[in-house]
Amino acid sequence: MTIERPFKRHYDFEHFRRVVMRETGEGPVPIIELFADPEIMCEVSGLDFPADGLLKVLNIGVEPTVEQLQLGVQLMDISVAFSVAAGYDYASTIPIVPVPRTDYLLLENPQQDGKVRGWQDEHRGLIMNRDDFERFTWPGLDSVSLIPVDYTAGQVPEGMKVMAFINGIFEDLKRLMGVENMAIKSVEEPALCGDILEKLTKLAVAATGRSAAHPAVGAVFYGEDMGFNTSLMLSPEWMREWVVPRLKRIADACHAHGKPFLLHSCGQIDALMEDLIEVVGIDARHSFQDNIEPVEEVYRKYSDRISILGGVDVDLLARGTPAQVAERTRSILEACAPGGGYCMGSGNSVTNFVKIDNYYAMLDETRRWNEKHS
Amino acid sequence: MEQLAELVKEGKAEEAAGRVRELLDGGASADALMKEAMIPAMEEVGDLFQQGKVYLPEMLIAARAMQGCMDVIKPAMATGGPGFLGKVVIGTVRGDIHDIGKNLVGMTLEGAGFEVIDLGVDVSPERFTEAVREHSPQVLGISALLTTTMLAMKDTIDALREAGLRDGVKVMIGGAAVRGEFAGEIGADFFGPDSTSARDFAREAISR
Repeated sequence: MTIERPFKRHYDFEHFRRVVMRETGEGPVPIIELFADPEIMCEVSGLDFPADGLLKVLNIGVEPTVEQLQLGVQLMDISVAFSVAAGYDYASTIPIVPVPRTDYLLLENPQQDGKVRGWQDEHRGLIMNRDDFERFTWPGLDSVSLIPVDYTAGQVPEGMKVMAFINGIFEDLKRLMGVENMAIKSVEEPALCGDILEKLTKLAVAATGRSAAHPAVGAVFYGEDMGFNTSLMLSPEWMREWVVPRLKRIADACHAHGKPFLLHSCGQIDALMEDLIEVVGIDARHSFQDNIEPVEEVYRKYSDRISILGGVDVDLLARGTPAQVAERTRSILEACAPGGGYCMGSGNSVTNFVKIDNYYAMLDETRRWNEKHS
Repeated sequence: MEQLAELVKEGKAEEAAGRVRELLDGGASADALMKEAMIPAMEEVGDLFQQGKVYLPEMLIAARAMQGCMDVIKPAMATGGPGFLGKVVIGTVRGDIHDIGKNLVGMTLEGAGFEVIDLGVDVSPERFTEAVREHSPQVLGISALLTTTMLAMKDTIDALREAGLRDGVKVMIGGAAVRGEFAGEIGADFFGPDSTSARDFAREAISR
């Protein structure tokens, strides 16, 4: 197939913001991604990144090495170049919140020529019990650093803004405790989970508030994974008691500066959507896979109150053909674009096992739609 | 028996194991404890999990209580002999170390009375094949999280076929990225969206 690049030469974050905030149903459908793996960003931008570079920064600690810092800067450059080349209206970066985190487990995947992938430890974490919590070294709020935001702000072209990614408190709870241990402690020692969540919330509020206050930051992308394919991991009641009020504090820190608060959560989280919309006050939700709930269905249910982001199934992007991806992209646009409050993108992220031609097919089809309808 | 079932359902491991000892001391058979209390209790928790009425923690603590009970009564049962409903080998494919889903399947199968041989994570097709040859299970369960790692499921099924073992075992697959049509594409017998459907398939497989 012929890849028509660049997809866009004009960046308009203000239009992106108005679409996300459902202030307009006019104009082109913006594109959005939470993340793209370095291999994809390099392919799109033409820049290079060491094959083992991501592994070297994956388990970055609270005292990074010079090499890790250099790789981090390189990643930020690639992130901006990727956004510029692909036509996103923002470039993503991550404010530094130096919480010691359980290392990812690393494993080669023979299906990708031995490429190494990092996996969250599901059984063990740095905080397994109350004693571990008491001994844990929590960073002070003043240790939150916006250096990546400042750096990225200096790189983006006119019209483009910075998207600040904030790691979720529930996500960090799982990583600090190990998923299984966290699940068991949630019923046996909920107060321990609550104490950890409170520490994480204060840091997340600081990172979110300071990022949202930054003039170059256009929005906050807040990442939690709260569900499996079939349901929430923990009960809605538990989430309402221990997580939702804290998510509201984080969203409020963003909204205090008039910036959109976009939520990414994998899994089937329908049981919590009313709380996320009405209590937390999310402006948009991201991450939809066809085998969980097709994005059109979510759009039908919630697009009168929030915007809906992405939804082209990663499995299709990885194993389908460009023609299939174009067809699926078109069908999503037909269902979601006319009413506004929709941005096109993958159902999760552009992983390194996504076929690049399929990714391009999704962007190309969106460009065609926009040329025809805008 | 009713009290034991409640303790398992509520995930009270120590109290459940204590109740098992009391019942065994009182003359109850291990078989009766499993069939009349423990298995129905886990069945109920599994069904509620499938229906979205209980969540991961409740499944985990009930399974832990079940395991505690099994540890007490296992000496009274001949491994692989009478008392087990059937045998299932499970594992997460090579290149993948996600195993919560696989573990839930294992717990649910044990809770239903199956003997479960868990090969763990990052299991090569050769190791799956060896385990099928060694244990002769009625069912093999293969798990993977990602689109990129689930491709190893086909390698495993191909390896079984090459070893002449495929016809002797039913293969079920599951995992976040796995879909029903993929089972057909790679020659698996069943795709289970959750641990309860895996249990139901295994039960159906042994009844054929």
